[in-house]
Amino acid sequence: MKIFLGKAVLFIAAFLIIVNAFPKSIIESQELNYPQNPEIQEAIENIKFYSDFNFQTMNQDRLNRTITDFYLPIKYENIEISYLIVSEYLEVSQDSQIISLRTGDIEVKKVTLIKSPSILRGNHAFTINATFSVGDESFLYHYYGYVNPIIPDSFLGGSLYTLVTYGTMFFQGALLTLLLALSGTIIGFFLALVVATAKMIQSDEFESTLKKLMKKTMNRAASLYITVFRGTPMIVQASFFWYGFGLFGNPLLCGLFVVSINTAAYIAEIIRGSIQAIDKGQTEAGYSVGLTYSQTMLFIIFPQAIKNSIPAIGNEFVINIKDTAVLSVIGIFELFNQTKKITGMHYRQLEAYAIVALIYLVLTLSTTNFLSFIERRMGMQPKELTSSS
Amino acid sequence: MNIIEIKNLHKSYGLEKVLKGIDLLITKGEIVSIIGQSGSGKSTLLRCINFLEQPSSGEILFEGKNHFTNHANLQKLRTKITMVFQSFNLFENLSVLDNLTLAPKKVLKKTKVETNKKALETLALVNMQDFANKYPKQLSGGQKQRVAIARALMMNPEVILFDEPTSALDPEMVGEVLETIKDLAKTKITMIIVTHEMSFAKEVSDRVIFMNEGVVHEQGKPMEIFTNPKEKRTIEFLSRFNK
Repeated sequence: MKIFLGKAVLFIAAFLIIVNAFPKSIIESQELNYPQNPEIQEAIENIKFYSDFNFQTMNQDRLNRTITDFYLPIKYENIEISYLIVSEYLEVSQDSQIISLRTGDIEVKKVTLIKSPSILRGNHAFTINATFSVGDESFLYHYYGYVNPIIPDSFLGGSLYTLVTYGTMFFQGALLTLLLALSGTIIGFFLALVVATAKMIQSDEFESTLKKLMKKTMNRAASLYITVFRGTPMIVQASFFWYGFGLFGNPLLCGLFVVSINTAAYIAEIIRGSIQAIDKGQTEAGYSVGLTYSQTMLFIIFPQAIKNSIPAIGNEFVINIKDTAVLSVIGIFELFNQTKKITGMHYRQLEAYAIVALIYLVLTLSTTNFLSFIERRMGMQPKELTSSS
Repeated sequence: MNIIEIKNLHKSYGLEKVLKGIDLLITKGEIVSIIGQSGSGKSTLLRCINFLEQPSSGEILFEGKNHFTNHANLQKLRTKITMVFQSFNLFENLSVLDNLTLAPKKVLKKTKVETNKKALETLALVNMQDFANKYPKQLSGGQKQRVAIARALMMNPEVILFDEPTSALDPEMVGEVLETIKDLAKTKITMIIVTHEMSFAKEVSDRVIFMNEGVVHEQGKPMEIFTNPKEKRTIEFLSRFNK
């Protein structure tokens, strides 16, 4: 029962993220037809609204984040303005009132926020129909905005708000994280085959001194590569290649490069271990029917070693899902960096980081489950020991 | 005609001397059994013949020539002298059929059709034709060893080396493998068999070699060795089996 509940919560979280990944249609805020009268034109562009909070000036784009009452001026120089808002959330007062600004008093109409939209519904779009009149000329202009839900103080409410409002950003981050981890692991795997081969290649008694020297150099180079990339933190490698060289001129490509070469160092050791774990008899059997070293490696040893190292390589993938977080230092907006960005937008650190922890958990858990499913299908679950083995 | 000549062969691992000067001639078509205590150097001697172990000193000639000179010669030698191992060593990642056809395709450059046909014929020889598409882990020990024998036969070798072919088998399965080897013995292919199956050695071999502490202690016709051994050490060794 507990497990079922846990899975249900994870499922709902994933569902909300996916639903919110598709952005709501955004209303065009640009009016196409402009008035002929230059005075009205000026008024439309320069008119200011005032927030209920200390009468702060609201530029027109601030209407997109409406969370308090606000005031609409009824005059701009000698132009009279009247307003009409059709919305269940906002109401324009009948009477005008005077508010005191630093620059002087002005006459305004108050827009009252009747209620906040629920955090589940998200932002609510509204239109202000403003009629500008001068003499017997009048012009209707639309201002558009959104009433935003107010962030609840409670942890659960705050989390829900964060998830619903910034779901798209979480989703994009998670997608990039998965993409980086997956492609990094795959590229790293192929690099690792090269590195492991270079590290293990051995010369034999028939070869020339030059060839022996070359193979020795390859061994040394592969060892050095593994030592350096396993012995330094990925955050340092990322900074080194991006801030030091601006590799590929694109942080994303540079980040992918760093994940790949880092993973390659680890997988190379995994593959080397798997090769060494394979019974020596397999190699000898290859030699005994006349196969060469490279043929034995290619057709007998590598296929077995790679199959045996699949669980460990899967682990590398899971580790990469978490470790790509360090790529935030070079400005890649993967999951962790997206979260940092979100906390910068609404200052609810606890909720944002709790959510992102949960998302990472969902990613790693589902990956682990998927990998063990694959392993079972390939018949790689640990077999029961029988008395004869 | 001597197919294999071994001259003053020494092999040591570090300070430990395993073979201390072996001289041996093996004629074409001969079936030779090597018996002796564990650690007496039987397997090492066998593995030196196809250079799975490099001799420390001495010479091994195949058809009068030393093949341990370069890759091409060594590879050629190993297609002429194949080996059957104690622990079967079938290629675990390949099916029975692919186990048999891999080397003929890659080393002898034969076509797929040709090798598949030959593989099925060879499997029929060891009575394993129904298992062509199975994988090694689906087979019993005896079946694996019969497939391994078929694999060794696929290269049309001049000599087959058997390294304790029944030591890793359940007692019930020893019989089927020995029967297969006996059938093979009738084809007059040269065979060198390291074994602990004394009655088998007695029945199948033309010559029995008793090895002790890295040297050939006594050799002769199976009847002589088993019924009338001359050396004290041989008598001691054989008396344990006759109990």
